[in-house]
Amino acid sequence: MTTATLHPIWSYVQVLLNLLVFLALAPLFDGIVRRVTARVQSRQGPPLVQSFYDVLKLLGKENIDSTGILPFRLAPVIAFASMLCVIAILPLAGRATAFTAYADAISLVYLLTLGGVAVLLGAFASKNIYALIGASREMTTMIMVEPILFMILLLGVLKTGSLDLSAVIYGTPMAAFGLPGMVMIAVSLFGLQAFVARQPFDMAEAEQELLGGPFIEYSGPNYALFKYYMMLKQMFYAYLPIAMFVPLLGTGFYLADLALQLVLTAVVFLLIGLLSATHPRYRIDQAIRYFGVLFLIALAAIAAAVVL
Amino acid sequence: MSKRKELEAKLIARLRDDVVCVEKTDPRTIFIDVKRAGIREASKIITNAGARYLCSVGYDNIERDGTLGMIHTFALDDSDQFVCCRTSAPENDAIIESITPDLPSAGWSEREVTDLLGLRFAGHPKPKKLVLADDWPDGIYPLRKDVPHNLVPKGAEDVAYELDEAPPGTKIVPVGPFHPSLHEPEHFAVYVDGETIKGCDYRGFMTHRGIEKLCTTQISYNEVPFIAERICGICGSVHATAFSQAVESAAGLVIPRRAEFIRTMMLEFERIHSNLLWLGVAGHLIGFDTVFMQAWRVREQIMWLCERLTGNRKTYGMILVGGVRRDITPEIADDIRRVMKTIEDDLAIIHRAIEKDTSIHKRTKGVGTITKQQALDWSLVGPVARARGVDIDARRDHPYAAYDEMKFEVPVLDSCDVWATLVIRVIETFEAIKIVRQCLEKMPGGEFFVEMKDSIPAQRHAITVVEAPRGESVHYVITGEDNRPERWRVRAPTFPNLQAVPLMLLDEQFGDFPIIMGSIDPCFSCTDRVAVVDLQTGQASSISKAELDALSRQQQARHASLKG
Repeated sequence: MTTATLHPIWSYVQVLLNLLVFLALAPLFDGIVRRVTARVQSRQGPPLVQSFYDVLKLLGKENIDSTGILPFRLAPVIAFASMLCVIAILPLAGRATAFTAYADAISLVYLLTLGGVAVLLGAFASKNIYALIGASREMTTMIMVEPILFMILLLGVLKTGSLDLSAVIYGTPMAAFGLPGMVMIAVSLFGLQAFVARQPFDMAEAEQELLGGPFIEYSGPNYALFKYYMMLKQMFYAYLPIAMFVPLLGTGFYLADLALQLVLTAVVFLLIGLLSATHPRYRIDQAIRYFGVLFLIALAAIAAAVVL
Repeated sequence: MSKRKELEAKLIARLRDDVVCVEKTDPRTIFIDVKRAGIREASKIITNAGARYLCSVGYDNIERDGTLGMIHTFALDDSDQFVCCRTSAPENDAIIESITPDLPSAGWSEREVTDLLGLRFAGHPKPKKLVLADDWPDGIYPLRKDVPHNLVPKGAEDVAYELDEAPPGTKIVPVGPFHPSLHEPEHFAVYVDGETIKGCDYRGFMTHRGIEKLCTTQISYNEVPFIAERICGICGSVHATAFSQAVESAAGLVIPRRAEFIRTMMLEFERIHSNLLWLGVAGHLIGFDTVFMQAWRVREQIMWLCERLTGNRKTYGMILVGGVRRDITPEIADDIRRVMKTIEDDLAIIHRAIEKDTSIHKRTKGVGTITKQQALDWSLVGPVARARGVDIDARRDHPYAAYDEMKFEVPVLDSCDVWATLVIRVIETFEAIKIVRQCLEKMPGGEFFVEMKDSIPAQRHAITVVEAPRGESVHYVITGEDNRPERWRVRAPTFPNLQAVPLMLLDEQFGDFPIIMGSIDPCFSCTDRVAVVDLQTGQASSISKAELDALSRQQQARHASLKG
């Protein structure tokens, strides 16, 4: 896209900028969800920056290593790092970073899955029955939901005939949506809560049943890393449909595009907050049925895109 | 009295000499004394005559005739009568036949008697420890008269309760003693295959503090209602009323009608607050915190009302033996009417939202299902039973206080699941508001307290039931010397309901454990019979008295402005 005209140094600055935007805004967006939830519940709610405070507080706490084995300690670092990699390759507001060229749609899915696998790794390493049940739910969710994400990206691949990230992500809005595009918008909206693991699809953590599931044995900085990882992941999943389905302004001003995308992402978080405040948690068997239907619809949209 | 004659005839025909006597004094309660050989047969005959098992009471009679007494109590819901089947066993051969094989919900009552009095039951299917701590020494039975109330035996090391064997192919998920879906310390070992529950074992009574022992050794009749109120942090007035009624019945004391109306109102306030509390907790347990917050926001109104009425949000101290402590003035009556209207309107909004919410249906319909027959077999009570088509309500079947004059519906549903329980508790809240309004309308003037002048003769037995928000509470009192009961047995609604939880859990998903457990609204403290210490007051006591006074004044000012 526009990268060719930029000085190479800029593309590295772009990486830092990406990271900065995500690291700074993800906790704020989490704050939006908390505030929206609070308002629905007739509460005042915490300040917007509360999630920052939470992470800071956790960073200052004792890091209890309950198992004493390496995978347990590594898991949060891997999860956090994999998410940072995703952000580093993401062409934010249509502008590729220094690393975008080395990655494609498939490595994006890989990196996202790696984060999920790290969560499972930590859960299995902690040898806690609640973590194990949570991990098995997380795994089931991943198996059902990742293909849906992949198909959403695949639509971009089909539209542009390229696996290049910028092409895949921005290809769909630039080309005509068509019927498959419209269906995919619906799929990503209905899959939103599952991607961000919020109610009704927070079975893996399920506080009242599993006391945090995969994260039950984690505390202090390790838990802070997981928390941050979750917030970054949620921001990515809230940002993705905006990038994929809302055309760029095309003014040529990077900041204008970025601002629009971020405002829209905030709106998505508003929606996430509303949805999670108005739903109970589904049971895993109910969630699987829901994902199954979503999967079939996404598959049909892809088939239609191939045929049409 | 035909029921009494019919029972007597049946018993004598089958048991002949084993029937010692059928008392004829009390029209409402039928006391039957049988020899211990006939106790199981007698209880079978009584249940076959349509009686519903309530609970069993053991008592120490060693000083009098060297025996340990045992009473199985039943209710005849159609004719508003109770049947108490008494027997005894000599101390040196303390064993009688178990009735648990016929009546599964007698299991805990009998285990409790074994723990506390050392009376054993032949043929009990699970004769394990129930109430006492794991390291309590053998041979000391705390409810016997020769054991002092403040005995602290030496603890033992490395003693643990042996849970049931897990079925093959299952994993054990330990739930409790501390778990967000349990609000008090109890332990469940849940056996799961994948996510499907294949069984569970329960070890509770972790907070047993011997309130019954305390009240039969240390304090007098007039003070017991205040302790009784502290059995439960939710339905205190229920226990205070039930105890007071049992004592009044034993003493033949008739309390003023106005006091009965005020008691009815206090009980219904408690029902409103408890049902709203439960609705919120149920929402929380299925991960729907908005229901939790909204239900508790509405509930706050009734807490403030009770504070204005009695000085306390909970544990009102209103019920006394002989009446109530405070009157309802015309001003407070207006206040009550206003609060009832607010709650009715707000709850109607929540009710409409819940009624049509398909995702709540998903989590509650068809969950925790047991059949009506199973509910009857396990003697379930309260909304849990009414959700399974069992049409019982102590307020209607055994009217007490002013309920004989009240008009209200008893909702009964037959979908046998958690959803039905939820609907019933919401409807009952609206019914409770109706009852409060009727109380205000029909309340007669006059006194609201009558002093008990004569001392109560010893060795009188009395049984009363009171419908708590979560089901019927049974109190059994045997009067004693020294102006205090000789034996006082409290059976909270959780006692029978909790015993049926393993059945409700069977073959359900582990994700439904919290809501199935929560659907019976378990009150472990009632079951354990402890004094619950409110965290808030615990905190308040750590600040200085002046600060506390200032805080209270602020609160009062807030209420005054709300009233205005």
